[in-house]
Amino acid sequence: MPDLTIAPSREDCSRMSMSSLPIEHRTLQQACDLIASAQADDGDIFIEQGRAASISLEEGRVKHLASSRKQGVGIRLIRGEACGHACTDRLDAQAILETAKAARAIATGGGCLRPVHIQAAPASARLYPDLDPAASIAWEERKRLLERIDELARSLDPRIVQVFASLAFSFSDIHIIRWNGEWFHDRRPLVRLNVSVIAEEKGRRETGSAGGGGRFPLMELVEIGRAEHYVREAVRLALLNLEAREAPAGAMPVVLGPGWPGILLHEAVGHGLEGDFNRKGTSVFAGRIGKRVAAPGVTVIDDGTLPRRRGSLNMDDEGSPTQRTVLIEDGILTGYLLDRQNARLMGMESTGNGRRESYADPVLPRMTNTFMLAGKDDPSSIVSSLKRGIYAVNFGGGQVDITSGKFVFTTSEAYYVEKGQIQFPVRGATLIGSGHEVLKKVSMIGNDLALDPGVGTCGKAGQNVPVGVGLPTIRIDELVVGGTKVQ
Amino acid sequence: MSPEPATYADARKQLTGLAIQAVELAQQFGAYASDAMIIASDDTSICVRRGMVESIERQENHGVGLRVFVMTPSGPSFATASTDDLSDQGLRELAKQTLAMARIATADPDAVPPVGAEHPDAECLRQWEHSHPLQSPWDLDRAKEAALQCEEAALAHPGITNSDGAESSFGLHHIAYASSDGFAGSYSRSEAALAISVIAGRNETMQRDHSWHRAPNKRMLRNPSDLGREAAERAVRRLGASPIDSCALPVIFEPRTATTLGSHLLSAINGRAVLQQRSFLADKLHQHIFPSFVNIEDQPDHPQGLGNRLFDGEGTRCRACKLVENGRLNMFLADRYAAKRLKQAALGHARRGLTGDIGVSPSNLIWQPGHASPETIFRQLDHALLITELIGFGVNPTTGDYSRGAAGFLIEKGEISRPVQGITIAGKLPEMFTSISHVGNDLTWFGAMAAPTIAIESMSIAGQS
Repeated sequence: MPDLTIAPSREDCSRMSMSSLPIEHRTLQQACDLIASAQADDGDIFIEQGRAASISLEEGRVKHLASSRKQGVGIRLIRGEACGHACTDRLDAQAILETAKAARAIATGGGCLRPVHIQAAPASARLYPDLDPAASIAWEERKRLLERIDELARSLDPRIVQVFASLAFSFSDIHIIRWNGEWFHDRRPLVRLNVSVIAEEKGRRETGSAGGGGRFPLMELVEIGRAEHYVREAVRLALLNLEAREAPAGAMPVVLGPGWPGILLHEAVGHGLEGDFNRKGTSVFAGRIGKRVAAPGVTVIDDGTLPRRRGSLNMDDEGSPTQRTVLIEDGILTGYLLDRQNARLMGMESTGNGRRESYADPVLPRMTNTFMLAGKDDPSSIVSSLKRGIYAVNFGGGQVDITSGKFVFTTSEAYYVEKGQIQFPVRGATLIGSGHEVLKKVSMIGNDLALDPGVGTCGKAGQNVPVGVGLPTIRIDELVVGGTKVQ
Repeated sequence: MSPEPATYADARKQLTGLAIQAVELAQQFGAYASDAMIIASDDTSICVRRGMVESIERQENHGVGLRVFVMTPSGPSFATASTDDLSDQGLRELAKQTLAMARIATADPDAVPPVGAEHPDAECLRQWEHSHPLQSPWDLDRAKEAALQCEEAALAHPGITNSDGAESSFGLHHIAYASSDGFAGSYSRSEAALAISVIAGRNETMQRDHSWHRAPNKRMLRNPSDLGREAAERAVRRLGASPIDSCALPVIFEPRTATTLGSHLLSAINGRAVLQQRSFLADKLHQHIFPSFVNIEDQPDHPQGLGNRLFDGEGTRCRACKLVENGRLNMFLADRYAAKRLKQAALGHARRGLTGDIGVSPSNLIWQPGHASPETIFRQLDHALLITELIGFGVNPTTGDYSRGAAGFLIEKGEISRPVQGITIAGKLPEMFTSISHVGNDLTWFGAMAAPTIAIESMSIAGQS
């Protein structure tokens, strides 16, 4: 895992002072009083100020530049299983106090006012630079980067007929003030580069895509040759897909490659272990702590503390520090992913997984970076163990029904394997399995754990948050492969 | 219809004024042309679970999106930006920043500045306001009662073991637009929605299903108890679902899943995608892409449609149009840019968020229903697979490759015989479209889309063995 060797930047965060709060201290204290007086179990004020921008190229032209500015305040009030949430995009005292009153709609009763002193909580880890990721690179340079990508992609093969490239970057400034005055602050950079091409030959058109990013300066996507790597990868995939044949249909062994195929874990077990579903008993994993849910040797981790990773956070969106949570250890279920409300209701501690897309959304328990630890098997011996099956190296998106446990993910680079030998690439096929069964069928685990390049976005209840996944090469003895070729 | 409260008209007037101001600032700073869109929304939702209120959420949002064009020797170039700071200072910064970005973008000789679109005229704006009076779609107390009633009906069903909750929500949205050719207009819409999700069975046999309905206001919403019972019945009938053997079978999409076929059609007839060859229908204009009994239209003003709009994201008046007529593809969906390059008329299909380039979308997509009931279709097909749920993203709009996770029911001897899950259905969209064998008479609305039951002659099914 080379990416884990990069040291965290140790930036001084002592400059957090009252002056960095965009709302008057007195207003925040009044809002805290409104929360505290509603006899709540918990409550907080979430202040977000963010900027996002993107630049994109299509048909050989950098035709589109866009930017957006967003700010707002979300106020939550939690009593038992109930949560009142109101938000406003105005930062004036009147709007804040009205919002706090609206959040109280959930509560009944009153009284028990208590004085609140807003005080900075101890600084959390610094896992990423506290800087606008795009600050050091001007629009003109970003434009030139995309033009170079276009030129490179077209020069690699005459069959490349379309190139799409985009850079997206954002920087958000988050303040969280808990009802008791504890105050947390984080500044979060995020960058991403996507390259997508279309190859055409004899009337057949195929696409290939690649990309990456994380919480680091935009410049690094350019400097260390990553951009060029993504271009070559997108072109390779499009050309490979020109050769792809029908995928088989039916149950068969599948070998997953390292990195992004970790989406398997995200869909098969990650969502099913989120605290809200387990507290409500709607997940197929509910009440199974201590039970075997995977083959021996399978250890699954969710870790929000990996430096500069897309899924990492210094603190979650409730001010709790992120952590390394062991979800499955040697095949046994050991933990859930928790926010403060679900942790309290389940008699557990928050694991730092309370996340929200923005100030306007409620907090939900969500994943950060989810991966399986490496095993001892040689990756090539895992592929050659297939008598007849699929070797899937890369995927598009996936989805899960956490109640029945059924999950799917769709290949974007996969091969048909017979007698241990790769035969030919196959067209995109959806793989389907059961979350509570699939990891019991893992029979080989490679020594080549890799994390994804930083492209994952997880959707839950209409909210999108950046996440990471990782996997070593593994063999699953049976999954249903949704090809078109029925035997 | 009761007249709308004066406050709504005032709000629209104020937002229109701000849109005009944003455009004037852009022009003042040196734009060649510009247009602005303002969206203001007020949404409330309430979730109940097991008879208790679980959350109440209130969101008030507003924002302005500005698009600025500059003229260069090689044609117009442009950029977009948005902000939620609607103060004078906020709009000034927005205009300056967007203009600076537009000067960096590469010119496109085909780019269409917002000048001379076919805007709705004053009479048309007045008529729309008159015929679409905005009313508060619901209130918190009644919405809460409806959610509780809906969940209670579902939980009363024997076989239901748990609830994922019921949610009522409602909102108001004002949309204002102004362009530098002098046009300015606004309209509003409202929405009320009710959704319920419940669980049958226990542990590894658990099955969940849901029902939802969205309508312009609560009067048009389905009865909460009916919706709750429907969700319960759907969950219970899935108990015991298992895969079937891999095979090829006729596949029937119930209206809920049939809407996804409409979505796949939309991504393939998106004019922007067609220009970039990202569509398997790119060279199929005026050809038969469906059997001759298939008709699909876009309707920007329908009593049940949640996609109603007077003008699109470029201020172009939205017109009803027949996208597919007797199986033939009549046109691609186009904004003004795509329309110019595809040599089509712009009929009001520009989709616009506050930031980002213009996209393409219909208002309300409606499949014309056929004559057969779903039961008749089951009987005629005899042995088939009925799809009630699809998961995953295995659809490639460039090639038409289709492979998705599915759940539903096996149809044997013309009747539903047993629940099925853990399978995939696969094929190629061009062939799936041409091999539609039946279109049902059960047209059902889902927001801005209406579809009936649709059957396809044969698809590959992957399951056990």
